[in-house]
Amino acid sequence: MEISSKLIRFSPHEVENHLELSLRQAYNNLQPKLRPPFSLEIPDPQEYLELNKAIVYGVLSDSGSCKTHIKHLHALVTDGYAFFTSLLVGIVVEFYGKLVDSAKIQLLWATKEMIGVSSVGLEDLIVSLLRRIGSGDYSDQNLWLCSELVSLFLENWDCLLEEFPLVLTSALYSFLRLLADHCRVIGVAKLENVKRLEIRFCVKMFREEPDLCLKIGRDLLRLLQDLVHVPEFREIQNGLVVNRCTSSRYFFLRITPEMEIQLRFLLGNVKLGSHKRHQMWFLKKFLLGPEKETVLIDIVRFVCCVIHPTNETIRSEIMPRWAVIGWFLELSKQSQHIERSVKLALFYDWLFFDERVDSNIMNVEPAALLMVWSIPQYPQITHSLLEYLLNLVESYELSRRDMVARGVASAFRDIERKGVIRSLDILIKNAAVASDLKKKLAKLLAPVNLQQLSIPSEKTLPSSEAVLKECSTKVVGVVDNPDQKLGQFC
Amino acid sequence: MSVFLKDIVPAAQNNINTRFIVLDKARSSATAGANGKSCIALAADETAAVHIQLWGDECDAFEAGDIVKLTNGIFSYVRNSGLVLRAGKRGKMEKMGEFTIAFVETPNVSEIQWNPDPENPKRYIQNGAVSAYSRVFPPLP
Repeated sequence: MEISSKLIRFSPHEVENHLELSLRQAYNNLQPKLRPPFSLEIPDPQEYLELNKAIVYGVLSDSGSCKTHIKHLHALVTDGYAFFTSLLVGIVVEFYGKLVDSAKIQLLWATKEMIGVSSVGLEDLIVSLLRRIGSGDYSDQNLWLCSELVSLFLENWDCLLEEFPLVLTSALYSFLRLLADHCRVIGVAKLENVKRLEIRFCVKMFREEPDLCLKIGRDLLRLLQDLVHVPEFREIQNGLVVNRCTSSRYFFLRITPEMEIQLRFLLGNVKLGSHKRHQMWFLKKFLLGPEKETVLIDIVRFVCCVIHPTNETIRSEIMPRWAVIGWFLELSKQSQHIERSVKLALFYDWLFFDERVDSNIMNVEPAALLMVWSIPQYPQITHSLLEYLLNLVESYELSRRDMVARGVASAFRDIERKGVIRSLDILIKNAAVASDLKKKLAKLLAPVNLQQLSIPSEKTLPSSEAVLKECSTKVVGVVDNPDQKLGQFC
Repeated sequence: MSVFLKDIVPAAQNNINTRFIVLDKARSSATAGANGKSCIALAADETAAVHIQLWGDECDAFEAGDIVKLTNGIFSYVRNSGLVLRAGKRGKMEKMGEFTIAFVETPNVSEIQWNPDPENPKRYIQNGAVSAYSRVFPPLP
């Protein structure tokens, strides 16, 4: 007899999830063996897997006997908890949203148990949970998860630091990004406590583990820029320089698995011209609702830095990245702040571009193509992007302006050299592009910018703030030799 | 065995196994008779589109963008709805995913003129399309 699930909400018109079904079946089949006295016999490999499944189901569905189940697991385990942990990851990735509330609570409990034993694959489990914190979602459910996770990092600090330090770096990325949203929202009382914890965790990271913070790479600065209005972060940002490319693993953190699947499908399978329904569905599922459009920033960064289509896809009729990003840019216009941040996300790798690291070209390609392909029909998009980029270079503080100008100029040159666009003349000599922008662009691209790099004097060197004294002397890619630093870190 | 929508043929048999993505849904009508409400929707896969008929709580269970698995479905004429694919009393529709089908909206097998096969009057064969696209759910501009 089938026993209905105690883990997920039942929906009569939905196929059963294979993973959930296999956990439930294992639990039902092995129930007699899940109660003490436990068998002293060593299970065969197949039985071992089934017992793991049964215990996962027992732990998640029955808070009353979860401690017994975990004790059973401790007595049984021979693989460093790898299979048990991978089952939890599967649950989070495949159907976290469908779990009943009590199962979510148990899932977090089991995660803490796995931290206690430093289980194999724990990083994946924690990262998959971080990805489940929704953007612009101020429901009780979501704030609960956010607060549970940030507390988990604070409470298990020492253990995580010793065994899985990069998990703390991932958490920092997530919470800095979430804080930028959380600090802008006014009038959500429940958010105050979460915000306080998030700030505490992030500040602790900067104070105690500055080197770990810098492991994020240059996107750390982008995240901090959105927090300048938060007093705790003002000092931290001062004097922080980091040129290291951001590893793509961080860009997954604010993108849910469902969003990732749909973005990859949109950019890998849907043809330009017959994309409207898919676009509408994506919009409806992920972007409609107050505050939801904040995730556009993360999506654009994800598309630029993670989804790199093959040449075959590029040559096909499949939706190109620049077209999808053009649409995201339109959507972002509802809020000035989001629009600015989306543009920064789009151009961020331009600022630090180094033609000697060729993997970068795919990160800057969408912005270049969007500017060029918009000229005939939407010259205002080209104008607004080019204007933004050139202003961005100019608005940089003196100490970094040369470096940034050099980055943007090399990005343009490399785009031309690699044939992403045939010639930069399409921008510099186009009647549809405003003449002041063309002049500025020509000036930026003049050879002088590529050779003359002013060497900053002592005065313009980043000040080492008390908080970051440690890291600003160690890793801070002080701009004394930008050539070398850029090459070294990327 | 699972078939593509381009290969389904009208018949008085509950034997169609397929999967499709729901593209659009009309408002349900309560006037469908004793069995409760029903509604017509547009569905498609990589090969063709079709009109489907949803009954009772199926009307609310599926949304545009849902991928639906149909087991033991039937493709036949229904009064006032035309040629529709549905679960019928013996079949089943279940949501199995979302979004990830690259579909086509033409041909629409519900907009095809089917005539009895002169060699086998129990079978139908295609006799041209009445309309390339659905006339109930025209393609998006």
